[in-house]
Amino acid sequence: MRIFIAGFGTVGQGLAEVLESREMFFKKRYGENVKIVGVMDSKTYVTDPEGLAPMDLVSRKAETKRVGSRTYSDALEVLDSVDYDILVEVSPTNYETGGQGLKNIVHALECGKDVITTNKGPLAIKFGDLIALARRNRCKLKFEGSVGGAMPIINLCHDNLVGEKIQSIRGILNGTCNYILSKMDSGQPFEQALKEAQQLGYAEADPTGDVGGYDSACKVVILANSVFGRNVTFSDVSITGITGITEEAIALAKSRNMVVRLIGEVTDTKLEVAPRLVPRGHPLAVTGTLNAAQILSDLAGPITITGRGAGRLETASAILSDLISVLDDREE
Amino acid sequence: MIVNAELYVKDLPGQLVGSLEPISMVDGNIMGVVHDREQIVNHRISLNVTFEVEDATQLRRLEDIWKSRDIIISSIGSVYSTFSMEYLLIGRITASYIERLMEEASQAVTVDSVDIQYSSKNHDEKRTAMISVKVREENDLDALDRFLRSACREGAITYVRGL
Repeated sequence: MRIFIAGFGTVGQGLAEVLESREMFFKKRYGENVKIVGVMDSKTYVTDPEGLAPMDLVSRKAETKRVGSRTYSDALEVLDSVDYDILVEVSPTNYETGGQGLKNIVHALECGKDVITTNKGPLAIKFGDLIALARRNRCKLKFEGSVGGAMPIINLCHDNLVGEKIQSIRGILNGTCNYILSKMDSGQPFEQALKEAQQLGYAEADPTGDVGGYDSACKVVILANSVFGRNVTFSDVSITGITGITEEAIALAKSRNMVVRLIGEVTDTKLEVAPRLVPRGHPLAVTGTLNAAQILSDLAGPITITGRGAGRLETASAILSDLISVLDDREE
Repeated sequence: MIVNAELYVKDLPGQLVGSLEPISMVDGNIMGVVHDREQIVNHRISLNVTFEVEDATQLRRLEDIWKSRDIIISSIGSVYSTFSMEYLLIGRITASYIERLMEEASQAVTVDSVDIQYSSKNHDEKRTAMISVKVREENDLDALDRFLRSACREGAITYVRGL
């Protein structure tokens, strides 16, 4: 089985490490290893039809900041330069146009390749088109890692809860905002908590995508389309970020034994991201960078899942589960 | 749920407290008491009490306690459920603005009770109002949400509601 990794930042490198550590698992389960036959970052690429050594790729990226020695101007030409079975698209997301990630996914699907992605932008903007394209070309399009990192929300709804009528999903879908709001619980002002999150690498230098609620909104769109079968895009979501939340507001909530959390909510009629008051002790009152989601279904009632919403190995774990799912389907 | 009960208690010292204390024992909240010494039946005084309890189970527990204390329950009436919601409004707001807003809100929906708490102003002259509202119909919460959301958008106020 040959995979091409588009994007070799934190998640791409985490996947390489996971593939190295699970070599025996793949050999035992499928009788062969998963080979990385191509990798590209934003400027360079490397390919080898015989397979690349995952840890060599990680070391080279750490030492030179580049994954390959050859540069490129057209990513699609790079994808066409080597035979592969699955594209793992983990390049930086673009909420406005879908960016190069969208082009890579479309190209791979048009070429009949299965695609696994954590890239939220393309899914939030063109979900319906991508699913239709995948169906037309009889390809798999898997995206568990795009919502909630290691928290298996999409596959839980698709597999275990497949016979249920899911009435609502609401949850904490952005670890950065949750970290900031948790810090504010203990009295830190917003700006200070944000700075700390940036220093620890939880928040980007430009934190708008997180604190403005846009990242959560992308995830709400992905859940609405994939779990509720809706046909919505980013612009359909009512979005309020956390920049207006003050220390005084947090203190007032605390005096009533409540905390403020940024909650994404999806129902058949609602698409919303907004700060909400959550009672202490409620399953969604999690702290730190954790993500949590409460799925309400007609038979099972409320089901709560929690997990690390981002991170090198955590997101790679979600890609691994998608990879196994694709490989299992191919085995059948 | 909010409940109005007509009780008859013995005309003895301590009986009033003895009949109200069980409401606290079931985590209830007393909202009003009328102790009518004019209305005496069989050496018992009428006591009309309005209180809030969590649900019907708590109400049954309360009735059992009253009976065990030889308190006669003449009637239990005006029982209705309430739905509560908390809101945080953050911005350049004043108490009079919030009061006016809630007055307008109560014209749009049947509000059972409103409790407002304010923070002091911060360096940005921003202030927070925490509003706890009880309504009788669940639909009223949706209507109230729409009303407050729209008012906050117009007033550039950050709006946070409960789950």
